[in-house]
Amino acid sequence: MTNVIEIDSLHYRPGKGFALRDLSIHVPAGAIYGFLGPNGSGKTTTIRLVLGLLRPQSGRITVLGDRMPDDAPKILARVGYVPEQPHLDPTLTVNEIVRFQAAFYPTWDGARAAQLLRQFDLDGERLFGRLSKGQKAKVMILLALAQQGDLLVLDEPTDGLDPVVRRDILAALLEYVSQRGAAVFISSHLVHEIERICDWIAVMDDGRLVTEVPMEQLKNGTKRLRVAGAPATLGPTPFALFAREPATAAAETWVVGEWKPEMAGYFPGIGASLQDVIDLDLEDGFVELLRSFRGSRREGSA
Amino acid sequence: MCKRAGLVLLLGAALARPLMSQATDVQRLRALVDSLSREWVRAGAIADLADSLERQRAFSGRDTIAVGALRIVTDPSPLPVRAAAERVWPVLDSLYGDAAALLAQHPYVIRAFDPDTNVPRSIVYVGLTVPWDMSVAALTRLLVANAPMPPPDQTFVSWFGGPLRPPTRAAQDRTDVYLDLVTAPSTPARACYLGGLRDCRVALGLQSGGDLLDLWYPTAAERRALVNRAFADYFNHGANVLPLHACAAGADTACEALLRRLPAGSLPGPLGAQARTTLVRVAMAMGGRDAYRRLVADPRAPMADRIASAANATLDDVMARWRQAILLSRPPSVALPWWAVSLALGWAAAFGVCALRSSRWRLG
Amino acid sequence: MFRVMLYTQWKWSRLIILLGTVAAFALPIISMQGAAHADRNPLEAQDLLRTVQSWGTLYPVLAAALGLFVAMAAWAPDHRGRHVHALTLPLPRWRYMLLRCASGAVLLAIPAAAVLAGALLATATATLPPGLQSYPFALATHFVLATAVAYGVFFAVSAATARTAGIILAAVGALIAVQVVAGVANVDFDIVSPLTMIVLGPAGPFAIFTGRWMLVDV
Repeated sequence: MTNVIEIDSLHYRPGKGFALRDLSIHVPAGAIYGFLGPNGSGKTTTIRLVLGLLRPQSGRITVLGDRMPDDAPKILARVGYVPEQPHLDPTLTVNEIVRFQAAFYPTWDGARAAQLLRQFDLDGERLFGRLSKGQKAKVMILLALAQQGDLLVLDEPTDGLDPVVRRDILAALLEYVSQRGAAVFISSHLVHEIERICDWIAVMDDGRLVTEVPMEQLKNGTKRLRVAGAPATLGPTPFALFAREPATAAAETWVVGEWKPEMAGYFPGIGASLQDVIDLDLEDGFVELLRSFRGSRREGSA
Repeated sequence: MCKRAGLVLLLGAALARPLMSQATDVQRLRALVDSLSREWVRAGAIADLADSLERQRAFSGRDTIAVGALRIVTDPSPLPVRAAAERVWPVLDSLYGDAAALLAQHPYVIRAFDPDTNVPRSIVYVGLTVPWDMSVAALTRLLVANAPMPPPDQTFVSWFGGPLRPPTRAAQDRTDVYLDLVTAPSTPARACYLGGLRDCRVALGLQSGGDLLDLWYPTAAERRALVNRAFADYFNHGANVLPLHACAAGADTACEALLRRLPAGSLPGPLGAQARTTLVRVAMAMGGRDAYRRLVADPRAPMADRIASAANATLDDVMARWRQAILLSRPPSVALPWWAVSLALGWAAAFGVCALRSSRWRLG
Repeated sequence: MFRVMLYTQWKWSRLIILLGTVAAFALPIISMQGAAHADRNPLEAQDLLRTVQSWGTLYPVLAAALGLFVAMAAWAPDHRGRHVHALTLPLPRWRYMLLRCASGAVLLAIPAAAVLAGALLATATATLPPGLQSYPFALATHFVLATAVAYGVFFAVSAATARTAGIILAAVGALIAVQVVAGVANVDFDIVSPLTMIVLGPAGPFAIFTGRWMLVDV
């Protein structure tokens, strides 16, 4: 098994308006896979489909080698899930929730759960409903980690949390991954967070996959170029051309992806000169990617 | 002597007027009573004549159906009279025995009408008016309940509560009597349930002699309960109001006084009419075909003797047989039958299965 | 798994169970009030039966209330969390439902046992007039079955999706609306009465709530 999650040609349409169209995602084993996209792009919907909470109209979902939703119980025994909104009973105490969860997972590590309780400084006798937002997030992370699953699915786990809590959660996550070699599928719209921990990234927009590449490729491969003397129409390029705008009377600004240094030799071939190569951080690259994606869709629909 | 005579004369003169007026009042009242009595006799004769004319009117132009000694005068219609008569005759014959022959002189008069028409029909004062779509079973029950057997003597009617007719719900009657024996607020009824045959006699009003109130309701609590439950409205006016309140407050003398003011024969017995009905049926069953004739043969004999004569056995034997039949008619207990338990479990399981099919697809 | 389910179910519905148990224990005793003395007054039988019968109408009400509230308590937390937690547990849906249903049913055995205990105590300390019998086991059985049916139906409704619940409510509402319109239009059309007879009839789902709820009877 090389991919812990394989989504092929997935279609899901809950009603009028939003729909997931022809979605194909492949999460490699052992990867920390970031799932990036603006609000309403379909990240949570995709996660729910992966976990068997929603039923797709067509397509195929394979998680840890088994089909979802046919083998949902078998899969879920090996998956730790942290949803966007707290989903636990507020009338139970933290200890009661831990005991409840432990009963369903044969691989449950009680010692690990106790250690995480101390590490996160959580009061076991406190009602879940009385915890702060950050504490609730810690409890959900605790449950996911103590299950000792092979895959963690995290839906915006640090959204709205203060930096201290965020740091604690991410640290526990990374420790878990390094110890178990588990794969992590984490969705977020916080680019910097994704950039820090993920080694793969997929970008969603309006129910479609924009790109799915290793993090290095997206981070290092997205550049802003200053080009002079380029012809109006271009043939095939060795890089992905996201945007092309006039900068001065003589030069243009190009935003490109999948850039490699040796591609600089392309420009003399078209009678242009490459004046400057500017690195873009992930956030800028993400924004340019989306702009290009939306623009090409508009041209396509026109 | 002259003085004495004068005194007498004076006294006589003084008293003559009131005495004379008193005598006149008595005479007047007597004349009034005589006049009322004559009017009563005349009214009775007119009523008999009217009845006779009505019967003639009812009979004229109608057919007579005869089954055994049963006679039914009716007009041609779809009403299944003959079929019902053929069911009714064996019942009446077995109840009245040879006396059933009297039914030939007392026919049913049945007037059948079309239930689907709004044409007004003339009023009939004699017989039964029946829609002609009535079923055989319903008509049979109607004929049984209105069997025109001539009423026995007044003593029997007073004790029994009406003429003797075949039972339409014998088993239910026995069950109701069982409930009465157990729950009636009466010491003799309870003692009868526990096996005292003498108490059964008392509860059924077959005792000879004795004060009925003391026999039937010997305790203060029973008398108070009887007044409050059966006669509260009856006594709640005029001079009875204060004793009624005193009785409700616990004064037994007040309760007793009220009950003794009831008209003769209106003190309700511990057991109702159904108990007497079931007793007579037991006696008739014991006595065979001639039982009815023996029951009505001697109107002057006490009811206890008449029932024993009808049954052709001692009264104690009849009582014992009757009590046994009543005890065997205990109503079904409140425990659920097996099929009700199974149904309830089945429904609970069915709802559980519906719950197990709860869908996974609840989001989105 | 069942133990944690039972624990959480107990935590959610313990107040209902406790109140119901107290009521279930007290009902038979209250209904037999005044029957403890040995005076065999013939008036007692009627008064006692009347008292027992009037208090007996509360048994089906208590059974229905217990079934309803325990079923609601079983599902309230899941409804609040939109069932996400339950659906992400590693067991089939039907097994989860079975665990939930069974845990509620186990808890409902407590008030049922209380009915039996109260009935046995009430009849043991009472002197019944001749001809009357006590039926503590029959009463407790009746109560258990009524509670089971009530719990079953409310559990199934609570476990249904909002769409299913909406369909059920719409069907009931449509029936009532048709009846009202027929009444206003003076049309001789009665569907509620026949349906009521079917539902409460001898073979109906709620027949168990009818009948005689008598601790003492002839």
